[in-house]
Amino acid sequence: MLPNARSEFLAGCRDISPVLVGTVPFGFVAGVAAVGAGMTALEGIALSFIAFSGIAQLVVAQLVAAQAPALVTLGAVLVVSLRFLMYSASFSPHLAHLPARWRVVLAYLMTDQGFAMGMQIYGQPGDRTLRHWHALGAGVTLYVAWQAAVIAGAVAGAQVPAAWSLDFVVTLSFLALLVPALRTRADLAAAVVAGATALVAAGLPYKLALVTASIAGIAAGVAVERAHRK
Amino acid sequence: MSEWLVILGAGVVTFLTRASFIVFADPQKFPHAFRVALAFVPAAVLAAIVVPGLAMPHEALDLSLANPRLLAGAVAIAVASRVKNPLASIVAGMAALWGLQALAG
Repeated sequence: MLPNARSEFLAGCRDISPVLVGTVPFGFVAGVAAVGAGMTALEGIALSFIAFSGIAQLVVAQLVAAQAPALVTLGAVLVVSLRFLMYSASFSPHLAHLPARWRVVLAYLMTDQGFAMGMQIYGQPGDRTLRHWHALGAGVTLYVAWQAAVIAGAVAGAQVPAAWSLDFVVTLSFLALLVPALRTRADLAAAVVAGATALVAAGLPYKLALVTASIAGIAAGVAVERAHRK
Repeated sequence: MSEWLVILGAGVVTFLTRASFIVFADPQKFPHAFRVALAFVPAAVLAAIVVPGLAMPHEALDLSLANPRLLAGAVAIAVASRVKNPLASIVAGMAALWGLQALAG
């Protein structure tokens, strides 16, 4: 590792660390949820190592608990993962010059928080040639902290008192990402329509409310943007 | 058995969406309408997760002041719109929830 690569990597580890205050309880909740849904601790931990996505892990746990068919579960995972398409498209120009193995690893480590940090780092002026080391440091830090938290949650199981309401950390983690994503009137329309639809459609089976609400929100955003352009 | 299939499938789906444009495709090659729609995915999906989390604790709609998650969420939104660090809104939201729960005793 070049000395500068090493310092970029360590800067990535350091810069992402404040976010861990949200990541660690969220990972713990995801571990508890997997076991609570009837998965074994090993299955919950394997899911986490393979998928490395809190919301996808929670969706799988909820649908396994509801004994939903595998295809329905994977459809729900796809919907909550659609935001990765957006992140991937936004991030790809910065990584286009890297060899495939780098792009595969950085894609695998892509998270909501890692994406937000990466865009911020690549947006800064100056030499960009070693910034993928920064993204790697941030991604590895999140991965290690996340897996440790999930393992702790899966092993501790339902020992945490419900009165602590630790599951609320999940909602707050996504709220903290949602608010800065609302920059235009069209963004706001997408969020309001998606949120309202999620409440109205809550009775639909198999978490289909999430799919329905997401599509309605995207359509609303596109419609407002078009009306604005004309 | 089917749980392991779901676990592997979830890994495939999350990796393919993450790798889509970084590894496999050039976003410029997709129609403009697709890219416009893509821009609204985070706002829509995140809101579809967050709003029920605030307004539907325990699977039932509760828009009253007796729902501490609604008020704690409002506190977190106020903080998130002023402070850039996501940590601040998470801490403020949890503190508000615990405070309201203690008050309700």
